[in-house]
Amino acid sequence: MERKPKKSIGGAIVIGILAVVVGLCISVQISSNQSDTVGGLIPSVQVNDLETQLKNLRMEKEAAVQALLDTEARLAEIEADRISDDAFLQTLSSELEKYKMSAGVVDVKGPGIVITIDDPIPTEENPGDGYSTIMVHSDLMLSLVNKLKEAGAEAISINGNRIVANTEISLAGSNVNINGNPTAPPYIISAIGDPETMESAITIRYGIVELMRGTYALQVNIAKQEEITITRYSGIITFRYATPYAPVEAPVTEEDPSAEGEGGTGEGEE
Amino acid sequence: MKQGKKKRALLVIFCFAVCFALILVTQTNITDGKYVYVSSSVLDYYETTIAGEQQELDNIQSLIRETEAKIEGMISEDMSEEDAHEAFQNSLISDVNFYGMASGEMAVRGPGITVTIDDSQREIYFWESPNDVIVHDQDLLLVLNELKLAGAEAISINGQRIVDETSISCSGYTVSINGRNYARPFVIRAVGDGARMSAALLGPGCYGTILRDYYGLIFEVSFDSDMIIPAYSENRTYDYLEPVDTVKEGESN
Repeated sequence: MERKPKKSIGGAIVIGILAVVVGLCISVQISSNQSDTVGGLIPSVQVNDLETQLKNLRMEKEAAVQALLDTEARLAEIEADRISDDAFLQTLSSELEKYKMSAGVVDVKGPGIVITIDDPIPTEENPGDGYSTIMVHSDLMLSLVNKLKEAGAEAISINGNRIVANTEISLAGSNVNINGNPTAPPYIISAIGDPETMESAITIRYGIVELMRGTYALQVNIAKQEEITITRYSGIITFRYATPYAPVEAPVTEEDPSAEGEGGTGEGEE
Repeated sequence: MKQGKKKRALLVIFCFAVCFALILVTQTNITDGKYVYVSSSVLDYYETTIAGEQQELDNIQSLIRETEAKIEGMISEDMSEEDAHEAFQNSLISDVNFYGMASGEMAVRGPGITVTIDDSQREIYFWESPNDVIVHDQDLLLVLNELKLAGAEAISINGQRIVDETSISCSGYTVSINGRNYARPFVIRAVGDGARMSAALLGPGCYGTILRDYYGLIFEVSFDSDMIIPAYSENRTYDYLEPVDTVKEGESN
């Protein structure tokens, strides 16, 4: 009767110590796992991994773009062969060039400005709340793009995403989606157009850039450039609901399409 | 008693072994044992950029497949010269129609919704300014953005087709769209999935709901089974832009 409690106390102590040790181990394990996703002190190998992954992807993308250009050039060659002596096809093809240009599916270049927007540098008074300011206020970018268009920008892209008629800039979960592609700061907005006009339009007093710098403490950098290249819209355009109101149709005289050259194209655009 | 002590010692050793194993597991993750300080935003940047690049890569690859299919359709089939000519002409025509719609240079018809936005009719509260109860350019921009996100295929405001170079800005009492001035009310037409688009505007907490219920603006959505969105009426001129010569660019890359 006297021994029993003694034994259980000894056991309890040992088990208590073990529990503490195991708990410590588990907490060490969990905390080191957590740092993987939250940031902080992170194994350099992991960061290098991400970097190489991104680099590889970019190289792969470049190669794919190259391949696309090659196949398109091949297609153009074959097309040029066919078009050569047909007036109707010639008008069609020049129309197509024009449409493709305005639809944003052509790589373009020209003078313009490059605007870089990044989140505020955390300071002691203003450590930030862990969210990316520019992502939470992505409508600032919407507004900036609108101002650039107003100032006569002829082509705009954000982080390589070409702005086309149906481009959205929207906060979706923890990303800002542009053309459905997830993006993250820093945001690099390239715009082709008159550099002087565009720069003064956005840096006007109490304008959009001042708002970004002042109210939101964002880092905004504007650089005028002699030549910038803006890549084509790489998304997939689908029309499931819309149909052309006055579509271009094949000329009625089937025997000799070249004779009825203008019939189909000219009035295609209402 | 001795048996118990032995057992206890064994238990202790076993537990230490387990701990050791756990620590080893964490250590092997680190391989070279070097740590760098990385903020969470950098990690986010990597994650989203990788996802974005991956998506773009997929898109480009599908474009390549599309183009290759086109080429194949043009050469591999052994058909007569006339048939080939017709096939080519048809593919060219469908391309013209497609990009004509995509660029906004062609009028479009289809089902969709009509959104009517007008200034509020109520008296303002003492804490408000008249600015709070009228329609602004930013309101229109945000509504357009929501529509595009909800898959609108073609949009017009007061008959002005929304294209890539469309800007919307307040200019005094009117709003300038595509460089032309319009006063209230604003009638937005969008071709696309009507249910999805109206839900994106009028769902709980959505922008249309806020404008309507909080600011008292008039914000009405109606469905149309067939409507016509006009073509972009401005002449496009490019003073600064030129297409990149694909072949040359390819070589320099």
